[in-house]
Amino acid sequence: MQDDSTGSTRGSAGTLDPDFGPADELEDVPTRAFRPALRGDQRFDRSAAHRDILVFDDVHKAYRADMPVLKGLTTSVARGEFLFITGPSGSGKSTLLRMIYAAERVDHGRILFLGRDVCKLSQSSIPYLRRNIGVVFQDFKLVPNWTVYRNVAVALEVLGVPERIVRRRVGEALERVGLSGRGRDPASALSGGEQQRVAIARAIVPEPALLLADEPTGNLDPLLAVDILGLFEDIHETGVTVLFATHDRSLLDIRPRRIVVLDEGRTSDVRAGLNDDDALVRMRVAS
Amino acid sequence: MMERAFRAAFAEIRLHLLSVFSVAVAFVCLSATLLVAFNIDSVRARWAETGRASVYLAADVEPKTIQTVRKALLAAEGVTRVDFVSSEQARAEVMGGSEDEALAGLPEEAFPASLEVTLRDDAAAARVEKLASQLEALPAVEAVETYKAWGERLDRLLRGGAQAAVLLLLVVLAAVVSVVGSTMRMALSRRRAEVEVLKLVGATDGYVRGPFVIEGAAQGGLGALLALALMGVLFLIVRDSFDGTLGTLLGASPQFLPFVACVGLVVLGAAIGALSAYASLRRLIGSYVV
Repeated sequence: MQDDSTGSTRGSAGTLDPDFGPADELEDVPTRAFRPALRGDQRFDRSAAHRDILVFDDVHKAYRADMPVLKGLTTSVARGEFLFITGPSGSGKSTLLRMIYAAERVDHGRILFLGRDVCKLSQSSIPYLRRNIGVVFQDFKLVPNWTVYRNVAVALEVLGVPERIVRRRVGEALERVGLSGRGRDPASALSGGEQQRVAIARAIVPEPALLLADEPTGNLDPLLAVDILGLFEDIHETGVTVLFATHDRSLLDIRPRRIVVLDEGRTSDVRAGLNDDDALVRMRVAS
Repeated sequence: MMERAFRAAFAEIRLHLLSVFSVAVAFVCLSATLLVAFNIDSVRARWAETGRASVYLAADVEPKTIQTVRKALLAAEGVTRVDFVSSEQARAEVMGGSEDEALAGLPEEAFPASLEVTLRDDAAAARVEKLASQLEALPAVEAVETYKAWGERLDRLLRGGAQAAVLLLLVVLAAVVSVVGSTMRMALSRRRAEVEVLKLVGATDGYVRGPFVIEGAAQGGLGALLALALMGVLFLIVRDSFDGTLGTLLGASPQFLPFVACVGLVVLGAAIGALSAYASLRRLIGSYVV
């Protein structure tokens, strides 16, 4: 059954509002481009395809006035980038990710997702934002009594994708995460690593513009953790922008990548991974 | 959406059956009241539309006089039939097959001979009272029963029945809202993981709520249907005994609720169920965060 609030579906960047521009306007847009028409009354902005996918502009967030989680985070994430977000427990990694998909409100500042301020989205627009963002959690967030297939297919069913296409794309996604042929298994019967692979398949099956991973290896042993990180890197290779939040220093050391470090509300941007000693020194001095 | 609703309903079949049964109990009260009111109305309508009058004759009236009165009545405007019922026939009719000693011991005066007058339907209402007053002036006539007083009594009963039905409708409304609302909140709580996943992947609140509303409608509709089925069985059990005795006395057989009323009750149940589910989950689903 198709969600009647859904417009046409496209294989590249999720589903957008019904008032989206005509198909011929979209032909020259890169395949994985996010088409940020989040509301029915606004048309697609071509220039969005060439902007940074995410911009944090002086973002403040506090659950208690005397304990700010984020104090003026300002940074941007380019399209196709792989970014680690790290910091100790309670430093605001999850909060930062939750603000991106509008599960948390920003106290002050802006978060622009391809030019659109997600903080100003109406409640009815939030589902359309989320259709363009894949999210993977530490606790997998699967429905245990559903099959593997259904847990993945749900991300396409809400878009109103026809059943035939759902079957094909779920099969492809399960193959990408190494769970080919496991579609009929109940999710609860899988191991932790397999459940996380199902969660990743669900996140990537609608081919989102952005993939957020909130401590996805937190419940896994170190070997599996490296395995899962490798899977995210494979997905990143296909052009998906990945924000990977972890406090596991060993994962950050595997490959030099840009890292945003959060600690006591302050943020430091380390451009070449934690092997960049100069940056680390700057970070320590700053904090 | 229907598929999701049925899948979820079958996964929690016990919870839903319990809810359907509770809704059915509420609807049994309403449908029973409607059934009684409907049958009283049938009797009232029959008595009002079919012009009947019983002309009770004095004890010592000559057969010749009876014939004269009968002829005069047949000649009157709107009268289609006049039947003479002797005192013995009246006693036999009331006694039926009964061997009740009390009835058998009643004196002859308790069963006066009568002329049973039938009027044309269109002439009935206007003519019967006029005819009654003319007949009462005759010395051969002891009394005339036009059943008007009975009609008025039934009207009062019907008004009472209508008030009871309205009150019971409110009770049913409260019961269905409460039962379906609670069931839906419980179902939502049990399916929290599912709701969170749906919201995470970009389902609108309407998409999440849809199956719950369908389940609510199904519970309300099935509850009403079950209530009607129970009423139907009860009706079949008691109909025969009513048919034999009361039917003869009242001139109308007991009838079940008309098809339209049954469909109306089921639709009402489904509508209340759907609205209850919608209202109970409206805020709750919005409050679920991933």
